[in-house]
Amino acid sequence: MKTEIERRIGVYVCHCGSNIADTVDVKEVAGFAASLRGVVVARDYMFMCSDPGQELVGNDIREYKLNRVVVASCSPLMHERTFRRVCRDAGLNPYLFEMANIREQCSWVHDDGATEKAKELVRAAVMRVYYHEPLEVMEVPVNPNILIVGGGIAGIQAALDIANAGYKVYLVEREPSIGGHMIQLDETFPTLDCSACILTPKMSDVGSHPNIELLTYSEVEDVSGYIGNFKVKIRKKARYVDEAKCTGCGLCFEACPVVMKSEFDLGLAERKAIYISFPQAVPNKAVIDRREERPCKAACMDACPIHTNVPGYLKLIAEGKFKEAYKLIRATNPLPSTCGRVCYAPCEEACNRGQLDEPLAIRDLKRFAADQVDIDELEVPQITKTGIRVAIIGSGPAGLAAANDLALEGHEVTMFEALPEAGGMLRYGIPEYRLPKTILGSEIDYIRRLGVEIRTGVQVGKDVSLVEIKNNFQAVFIATGAHGGMRLGVEREDLPGVMEGISFLRGVNLGDEIKVGKKVAVIGGGNTAIDCARTAKRLGGEDVRIVYRRSRAEMPASAEEVAAVEKEGIKIDFLTAPERFIPGSGKLSKMECIRMKLGELDASGRPRPIPITGSEFTIPVDTVIAALGQVPETEFIQELGLSLGKGGTIEIDSQTGATGLEGVFAGGDVVSGPASVIDAIAAGKKAACSISRYLSGEPGGGEEEKAEPEKLSEEEIKGLKSRFSPQGRLEMEEEPVMKRVGDFREVTSGYTREEAISEASRCLAGQIEGCIECHECQKYCEPGAINYAMQDEIIEAEVGSIILATGYQQFDPSVISQYGYGRYDNVITGLEFERLSNAAGPTNGEIHLKNGQKPESVAIIHCVGSRDKNFHEYCSRVCCMYALKFAHLIKEKTNAQVYQMYIDMRCFGEGYEEFYERVTQEGVKFIRGKVSRVTDRALSDEEKGKLVVCVEDTLLSSFIRVPVDMVILCSALEPRADVEAVARLFSIGRRADGFFMERHVKLDPITTMNDGVFIAGCCESPKDIPDTVAQAKAAASEALSLLARGKVEIEPIVASVDEEVCSGCGLCEKVCPYGALSLVSPEGIMEVNRALCKGCGACAATCPSGAISLSHFTYRQILDEVEALTY
Amino acid sequence: MTVANPLSEATEAVIAAGGEALNSCYQCGLCTAICPWNLVRSFTTRKLIHQTQLGLVELENEEIWLCATCGDCVEHCPRKVEIIDIVRALRRIGTQWGAIPKSLKAAITSLAAMGNPWGEAREQRADWAQGLGVKTFTPDTEFLFFPCCTPAYDPRARRIALATVSILKKAGIDFGILGPEENCCGESIRKVGEEELFQSLAQANIEAFKRHGVHKILVSSPHCYHTFKNEYPALGGDFEVIHSTQLLAELIQEGRIKPVKALGKKVAYHDPCYLGRHNKIYEEPRRVLQSIPGLELIELPDSHEDSLCCGGGGGRIWMDTKKGERLSDLRIGQALEVGAEVLAVACPYCLLNFDDSLLSMEEEGLPEIRDVAELVDGAI
Repeated sequence: MKTEIERRIGVYVCHCGSNIADTVDVKEVAGFAASLRGVVVARDYMFMCSDPGQELVGNDIREYKLNRVVVASCSPLMHERTFRRVCRDAGLNPYLFEMANIREQCSWVHDDGATEKAKELVRAAVMRVYYHEPLEVMEVPVNPNILIVGGGIAGIQAALDIANAGYKVYLVEREPSIGGHMIQLDETFPTLDCSACILTPKMSDVGSHPNIELLTYSEVEDVSGYIGNFKVKIRKKARYVDEAKCTGCGLCFEACPVVMKSEFDLGLAERKAIYISFPQAVPNKAVIDRREERPCKAACMDACPIHTNVPGYLKLIAEGKFKEAYKLIRATNPLPSTCGRVCYAPCEEACNRGQLDEPLAIRDLKRFAADQVDIDELEVPQITKTGIRVAIIGSGPAGLAAANDLALEGHEVTMFEALPEAGGMLRYGIPEYRLPKTILGSEIDYIRRLGVEIRTGVQVGKDVSLVEIKNNFQAVFIATGAHGGMRLGVEREDLPGVMEGISFLRGVNLGDEIKVGKKVAVIGGGNTAIDCARTAKRLGGEDVRIVYRRSRAEMPASAEEVAAVEKEGIKIDFLTAPERFIPGSGKLSKMECIRMKLGELDASGRPRPIPITGSEFTIPVDTVIAALGQVPETEFIQELGLSLGKGGTIEIDSQTGATGLEGVFAGGDVVSGPASVIDAIAAGKKAACSISRYLSGEPGGGEEEKAEPEKLSEEEIKGLKSRFSPQGRLEMEEEPVMKRVGDFREVTSGYTREEAISEASRCLAGQIEGCIECHECQKYCEPGAINYAMQDEIIEAEVGSIILATGYQQFDPSVISQYGYGRYDNVITGLEFERLSNAAGPTNGEIHLKNGQKPESVAIIHCVGSRDKNFHEYCSRVCCMYALKFAHLIKEKTNAQVYQMYIDMRCFGEGYEEFYERVTQEGVKFIRGKVSRVTDRALSDEEKGKLVVCVEDTLLSSFIRVPVDMVILCSALEPRADVEAVARLFSIGRRADGFFMERHVKLDPITTMNDGVFIAGCCESPKDIPDTVAQAKAAASEALSLLARGKVEIEPIVASVDEEVCSGCGLCEKVCPYGALSLVSPEGIMEVNRALCKGCGACAATCPSGAISLSHFTYRQILDEVEALTY
Repeated sequence: MTVANPLSEATEAVIAAGGEALNSCYQCGLCTAICPWNLVRSFTTRKLIHQTQLGLVELENEEIWLCATCGDCVEHCPRKVEIIDIVRALRRIGTQWGAIPKSLKAAITSLAAMGNPWGEAREQRADWAQGLGVKTFTPDTEFLFFPCCTPAYDPRARRIALATVSILKKAGIDFGILGPEENCCGESIRKVGEEELFQSLAQANIEAFKRHGVHKILVSSPHCYHTFKNEYPALGGDFEVIHSTQLLAELIQEGRIKPVKALGKKVAYHDPCYLGRHNKIYEEPRRVLQSIPGLELIELPDSHEDSLCCGGGGGRIWMDTKKGERLSDLRIGQALEVGAEVLAVACPYCLLNFDDSLLSMEEEGLPEIRDVAELVDGAI
């Protein structure tokens, strides 16, 4: 057992002038202290903190050989450090000192009984100090890097000061660019220099400074460690744009279809989902505002054989940008007008809005976009010619698509078309009422304007040999389609009146005189059969019917077409097949049919139709059109020695479209057999891509494989239903049936602008906030900087100190409903006015009302949300001055009458009062009074159409109503919405007003209660630019002075573990907020990292076996102190 | 030259009379600008406060009797100055000095003698309920229905009490009244500055309520509601207080009464100051009205927190207001503007003031004035 050293305690009671001595009898307290155990000397003195006071203590320590000291005075926050130093200087360990607070906690708050309370506090301190033990301060080195959070003027200034001193700075800014609020401002008071002009040089210095690591679009996520040795985790949010590659050219913004409100311009201007906040942004790099996944997964794009950017062009239509929509479509599809009419639209089947209510009318919207553009007037891009010649045989959709893409590559394309005009099946297979020839013609003409030569009426193999073509061109693409009709194989098919479908349609489209009888039967169930039937109806067929051997469900024709045909009065006989044709007076008069039933699935995956024996019956007919399908006519290629596949199709490499012969490619129906227009276009595009590669000597094939369209899960559909209210699909107007079957006019008339916008707005992808992932930007970005796969990055940094310069936000004045913000167009906030007045702002600096007119009178209302206990009690400090500046700018730019509704003018800085006078000289009217409301309810003619500001002019003692055109609200500066979370992250306090709390309001406005964390600018309290810069420089100086010291002292008040008692249960580790405790294996004993431990005591309170104790707060010390107080 | 030296004794007297809030005022003038009086005449609230701050207020000035204690200025005051307390303190000193408007004297005398301000006999206080089978409150009764002096004696306002009783009976609510043992709640007379009279009325009520074992009080007047709920507890009277519109909302929600008869009319609801601004009850009355089939609820230009006072609070109900200066006329004008066929109220003072206004107005399409309870009773 240790022998206890004799305690020699000195007690010093401070008068603090009259602060303590007025209510506490200090002599009595000192006398009382002298009687306490261990006290050898007790004195009172006027100011213990004064030099003579300090000397008094020092001398006593030496003279009386004191080994414990108690000072009863103010809060330890004020002078604990002072007296610890006095003890140390006099040779006493500074931790053998204790302070009794008899001022803040006694004399200031009590009248009666203050002396008694002071005595008890002194007794407690004496009993506590009795058991104090000497503790040794630990020193740790300071990491030379500094973290600055917030890239406004405060952060910028501090960063530059520190970086210029030669130290590394991490500058973290949440927004995509630095600049903060200051870069939004117009001119700055009182000198009226332009905010951007004085700030951008500093911003650009920050951007290029070798000592500054600028992390924009980033946020600090985690802070650990302590002064001199912080560890921080910074989340660098994915920009989806590679900063190293982006040149800031801005082509991507033009391509982006998503229009959003610009935060920088406070919603007064628009920006795109990919954007740079403002022209002088640092870094001048684009960012994609990508907030959520497309809820529909854009299945339409995956379903489309050419991967058309459907969400992109629907969004453009919804935004009213029709020409842009057309261009976007045409970027992948050379025939938008055509596809907008005849595409079977696999996109619509995939459209996941269909799982919510009905799919988008994508095809009809494509047609709408195309109809808004005069294709004949469409500009042709500049193309650099390669001089390479490519031949395309066949001018149907596959050939045209290939020609288009190859021509855009600069190749010289010559097309050979056997028929009199170009277009293939589009012209000769599809009837006029579905696709007007003029529209098709315009689209083909545009491809001609790209430099494509189309030689019509030239049949390859007859008029020109394929070998000759092969020899004259570097590559050949064969896309002759499938124009051969198929025979029924039915008895007496040769009878006059029996026609083959595809020839019938071709004849009609060629303008040949083709007659049909009154009773027409069309055999088949595909789209060709439907086209034949509807055409026959228009040619005068009265009783037109379709005969199909399977049931409705198996019909290859689209449901939409089937519905259209029935609407036009054409009957469909299902499960019926012709058996033979029966003549009457030398021509067709009857058709014998047989009923069918459905059997097992056949090779095509459809149930096989089986004739029902004995079900034969006849129907009277005078015309039969057999539309069974088409086959390619490929005899001509045999001169090249190419082999033919099944059904006369050409065999190709499915990856590249190349035939067995070098330089010869094929695609479209001639390869696949009869398919759809869009499939043919896809084949043409793929071939063009392969041909380009072949010509440039690159290996490989066409476009990459695309993903399958995804359906949504039940869960996802439920989510969508709760988010989007049902809204059905808007159908296009149709011509009345009776009228339309009389001629070949187009059946549908297309959307109106309003209908199109309404329908396009249903697109789910377009309804999300931010980027809709249309990837348009990617196509326009020359350096290839767009990277959708980019992920957030976590950057870990070690820093010695942290400067918080997170700024403020503007109070939302819509809360004060009587001022009408958000309700009246021309009630705006101060920050909005800054943008309005800014030459680089949305109005190029013109101050005007929402209707574009200049205001004749403007009221500026001060103290909106400031100096108001209902909102913020404090004064926002900058409003009086910027209100004066506004008045000046308005006078200068509009000569409007300006009223200032103020309560008190506060113009206290350098040149401020002078500016106040200058503005009064300019004739601005000052009305002293707080505005009660802004209303548009006119009481007289002069108030009509105006905003009426109601106020008492308190200098007149009169209630007045001031009619004006514009009202500017000087909205308060308030702490940012997430200020609490930020304070918690950096372990600093906040004042009652919400701003970060400084260590001392007057004497230490930079440091916080967390050593090594400094604050600067408006995050500390509202202030103007000069004050912010001064505070930022002060914060830099604090951080640098820490670095100059090179090391910091760590308070020795830490936890310690009694190894004998510790059971290694680990409970303490869980409660330690600083990660200072860890289990040492294998013994399972807890160890304390003294550098990390903050001495909070959570572990000591948690330890079930009492193994942990906290130095300077031992049980003995605390219990004795408590005992003294409860005596 | 007129010289006025600040009189600090006068200021202190006001503070001693309950106007402590005085020194918080920073003279921004919002109170003046928001005060409805300035819609019809000049009344600079701020100046009155400033004069009081300097001890230069003239107690003979009629301005100190103008305030209808609507609370709009207090609601929006940036320094949260309890302006009504200052006005009350000024009036208190004014009454002590005998500077009191004549019309108020009658009400004071009647209140002191008969417990109601209308000069009616105490014994006849329950006459309104004759023949309705309304029982006298007994300790096991659930609700004390406290109809307020106005419905108890005024023939028009009486219909509020009758409608309420009718609804309570249909809903099967157990309630009783105290009749002659009731006294005026005292809310308005306190605002006049008659603190002692208020104290004695309140004490009499609290004693009577306690004596009869009252726990829950149902009131028709927001003024009774306000003082029972917010002022009686400090005097030892802690009761559960419920305004009729609150109870109606509850009964309708629980399905205990069901408005079924359609009222195909446009109805605007006027927020009484003492139900709305003073006690933040805005939604229940609207919910009740909306439950009536066919009723189209519309809003007046000034509603909810910004409601325009009828002019009847703060003792103004007993004072004459010159034609042309009546706020109730403006309010009827607002109802006309929005095309209201019925102006619904939830306060007997508002009812009387609006009905008075109608007598002197000749415009076409004037609305009828109905208490919410009357409308509900007509619909079930």
